[in-house]
Amino acid sequence: MAPRIDLRRSAHLRSLGAVCALASGLVGAHGAAQAADFEVQSETAAQAYQVTSPWGDIVLDRRRLMQTLGLSVYSLQGKYEPGKPDYNITLRLRLNADFGLNQQHTGEPAGAETSFGSTGSRYVPGMEEVPLDLMYGYVEGRNVMRGLFGFRLGRQYVSDMLGWWSFDGGLVRVTTPFYVQAEVYGGLEQRNGLVLSTGRWERNGIWRGGHEGFGSGAGQPSVTDYPSYQYAQPAPAFGAALESAGPTWLHGRVSYRRVYNTGTSITQQFANPAAAGSEGGFKAITGDRISSDRIGYAADVSLLSGAPLRAPIGAKGGFSYDLYADTVNTWFGGLEVYAGRIATIGVDADYYLPTFDADSIWNWFTHGANTTYSGRASFRFTRRFDLSLSGGARTWTTEGDPATFGAGECATVKTLIPDCKPGVSYVDPTGSQKALREYVRDPANRAQQTVVDALGNVAARYRIGNGQIGLRGMVQAGERGHRAGGDIYGDQGFVGGKFQLGARVSLYDWDDPMRPDRSATSFGYVLGAGFKPGSIADLRIEWEHDMNRLVGQRFRIVGLLNLWVLK
Amino acid sequence: MTSGKRSQGTTSSWLALAACAASTFLALLEPGASAQPAPSPTPTAESAAPTATPAAAAPTATPAAAAPTATPDAASSTTPAVPTAVPIGPPAPAVAHTHGLAPIAGDGVVPIEWMPPGSKTSPIPSDEIFPPQQITIRFNHKKHIGELKQGCKVCHAAAYASLDGADTLIAKPNETCDNCHDIDHSDLKNVKAGTDPNGQCTFCHLGDNAGVGGKVAAMTIPKPNLRFPHKKHLDRNVQCGQCHGRIEEMELATRDQLPRMAGCFTCHQMSGAAQGDAKSDCETCHLTNPGGKLAVQFGSGMLVPPSWLHNAGHTADWIERHKTVAADDSSFCGSCHTNTYCTDCHDGKVRNRKVHPNDWLSMHPEAARQDNPRCTSCHAEQTFCGDCHRRVGVARDSASGARPAGRRFHPDAAVWTNGPRSASHHAWEAERNLNACVSCHTERDCATCHATKGVSGGQGVNPHPVGFAGSCGAAFLRNPRPCLVCHQAGDTNLRTCK
Repeated sequence: MAPRIDLRRSAHLRSLGAVCALASGLVGAHGAAQAADFEVQSETAAQAYQVTSPWGDIVLDRRRLMQTLGLSVYSLQGKYEPGKPDYNITLRLRLNADFGLNQQHTGEPAGAETSFGSTGSRYVPGMEEVPLDLMYGYVEGRNVMRGLFGFRLGRQYVSDMLGWWSFDGGLVRVTTPFYVQAEVYGGLEQRNGLVLSTGRWERNGIWRGGHEGFGSGAGQPSVTDYPSYQYAQPAPAFGAALESAGPTWLHGRVSYRRVYNTGTSITQQFANPAAAGSEGGFKAITGDRISSDRIGYAADVSLLSGAPLRAPIGAKGGFSYDLYADTVNTWFGGLEVYAGRIATIGVDADYYLPTFDADSIWNWFTHGANTTYSGRASFRFTRRFDLSLSGGARTWTTEGDPATFGAGECATVKTLIPDCKPGVSYVDPTGSQKALREYVRDPANRAQQTVVDALGNVAARYRIGNGQIGLRGMVQAGERGHRAGGDIYGDQGFVGGKFQLGARVSLYDWDDPMRPDRSATSFGYVLGAGFKPGSIADLRIEWEHDMNRLVGQRFRIVGLLNLWVLK
Repeated sequence: MTSGKRSQGTTSSWLALAACAASTFLALLEPGASAQPAPSPTPTAESAAPTATPAAAAPTATPAAAAPTATPDAASSTTPAVPTAVPIGPPAPAVAHTHGLAPIAGDGVVPIEWMPPGSKTSPIPSDEIFPPQQITIRFNHKKHIGELKQGCKVCHAAAYASLDGADTLIAKPNETCDNCHDIDHSDLKNVKAGTDPNGQCTFCHLGDNAGVGGKVAAMTIPKPNLRFPHKKHLDRNVQCGQCHGRIEEMELATRDQLPRMAGCFTCHQMSGAAQGDAKSDCETCHLTNPGGKLAVQFGSGMLVPPSWLHNAGHTADWIERHKTVAADDSSFCGSCHTNTYCTDCHDGKVRNRKVHPNDWLSMHPEAARQDNPRCTSCHAEQTFCGDCHRRVGVARDSASGARPAGRRFHPDAAVWTNGPRSASHHAWEAERNLNACVSCHTERDCATCHATKGVSGGQGVNPHPVGFAGSCGAAFLRNPRPCLVCHQAGDTNLRTCK
């Protein structure tokens, strides 16, 4: 197969060059700005392990290398003073390669996973062997005009009740001395397939990416081969937030964000020869439309010494409302009592309803929320030893009762199919299945039903000089299966932390009633050693060995090297 | 010097000789005990010392005074521990002092009203901000301030001009203590004790051997890891007691009399003009690294927020519940944590063992069924999950007609897909946990059955919830694309939404 030019990679290289030029500029600028602090960070992670398919005969060799390069210049204005204007530049690039791609399938054409090849059976659209992304990169100003203004310009994150999100653009924050600050921002959402971007930050429900290499030529994938794989297009976004500022016993933030989808999107998933459109018979839609439109609010309050209270208490809560799906997609609430110096006791509730990008069909599929109710107690017995326990339940809902629904269906067709049984396919001799459809759509048969999983967690830590030992255990059990187990871990530094040894042992058991052949008990351990020759370097190597009946023995080796310079 | 003092000095000389003899004897028995004076057979209560004059008061707890380098000329391990410059006699024998050793005599409980503001919330001060001290001196604030009418400024004049929390705020002993006590600290290598009991080393310095060999026990009062300009506070009429509590009611001031963060917030959360520089931003008081993030790693521990602040106690299960704080006030998290700290997990490329245990690859399918809300907080289903699932053959989205045959992840089609529905039908799992479906399946997989019959290519199985027809119109107007995946423009079902 003739090599094709990977336009996305070319764009990556151009972008990388631009970032390197910027970095060089910053380094040069540092010479002029003597008082500024200059920071370079490098993080290298090499991993090797194998992944087996549930059927055992497809084994992926994962030989992964992640390299990040961070560069920051702080206090461009000169000396840093709290509360005074402060200007920073910071960016981080990441290369995340898997050199195991394209290596494991004998009999497949070379590069079958990243190139369509002659069969296309292994091709995964959008997947790259050595993707490069700019994790963040922005210029920031804080405390401008006596603390009234702040700004960020570039690729940046926003985190609030609407989630953890990334965009390219600008953000301005106005902090008043009257307990309120306001924030507005706008730009383009980071999306898979755009230059130096990943799909981590876009909403779920739409499979997007670059279509480099797609076409109608021999050996090229066509968009109609993958009608669900959508074009990456710029996604304009804007948002605003109002937030309290000042009080430490009370904080709240209300935030709003809207993101648009633009460009062309294939809609119809199967060719319609009678109505050939611009995408080879697969209809498409073009134009700006909503991607997400949400508003959220979260708050917490701590009452430290209210007269009627014997102990300080804290409460928190929040919700997010999906304006497009017209539903609350998440809420949480909790209450904590700080009972003396040692104990914190609390109760929490957490509701989650999956919602998706507005281009996605799944917003409109019947689906329910899960809600977790838990009680929690944390104890800090000493500065060395703390322990947390929690337990509760998680509910899952359906429209209709799974235990009786099938029997009801059979009852409606018993005259046609006397031997009808749930879970046994049948053919309606009339071909219309009208009675069945009526039964399924009858609200009387769609009353909400709930199943409950029991949850429990324990976590404990004991610090010993330059080390610690810890325990983490969990159990989740219900009619949909169970997981239970725990880890015991420890690490210890020697020679003032210059050398470090660590270990982790785990035992877990899980059961999936729907796939009993995938139930197993696993035992694993990790051994690690670290070396920190100075403040600028930190090296660590880990060996993981897991064993269970599904995969037999699995090994994983991880090497981590962190370098850090601050001048 | 009074004759009474001379008399006492003579007695002290004899006692010192006796102590020297005893120490020589002890040295023969145990070398480590060399030059140690014998315990005083005549303990003297503090009240026995002159108290009607300022000289009776203990000196301030100053590191300078505690320097172990004060070496009286004649001090040696084999001679009486008497500084040659001292006119008469050896140091006074150790006495059983009962005052100035603790905030309340007898180490009693300090009433909460006397403690620094915020002590009810934080009974003890932060070890990270105020590292543990070793106070080897006794001092009676109550006596000095109350009885002797010595204001704070007498000993802590430096505080009134201090702009740095690390400043030493106690005057040198020769500028303060020596004004009243019968001792001369002007040369700390040659401290000259007087003859008055209040001028003896052991009067203030702890330990029976204080002053012996010209040495006193070292005192450790580390610098606070805090920005605190005393002058700014005093200039705004924030008096000592508003941060330190009612020192005038107490004897020894210890770490317990240092401020609590909850008390700082009495002022540091005002609005408007009253706010001034007293902002509640963390960096206002806490030390920062380049870039403005708080310095959190100190020799005395790692600085973490108290439980009562935003409910953000970093307990052992913090990873399970930090999202509620981040959702409310991520800038609070950003006071200490960099972007990278968050992205190591939330956009991570190396499995974090704090998040996923060993052998996660094997057990994650069951976790995805039971814990799905958490998956999407870090992973994009279409790429992170989907790419690997496609590679390994769990998800089978490939070019039409090119899918591997004979692979079925789910139960048999009769149970999983076709009607009538059993309890294991995919509809129930999809309703309970639609995210899990999306981690493998693309739209086309669902449209195969759920699109309308005919040119849309489906089987017409309606996936919508009950009552959907009444609300679909607004959704269609805002984004018709999802509707058009399964419905043709002229679809009668779609027409009702339009």
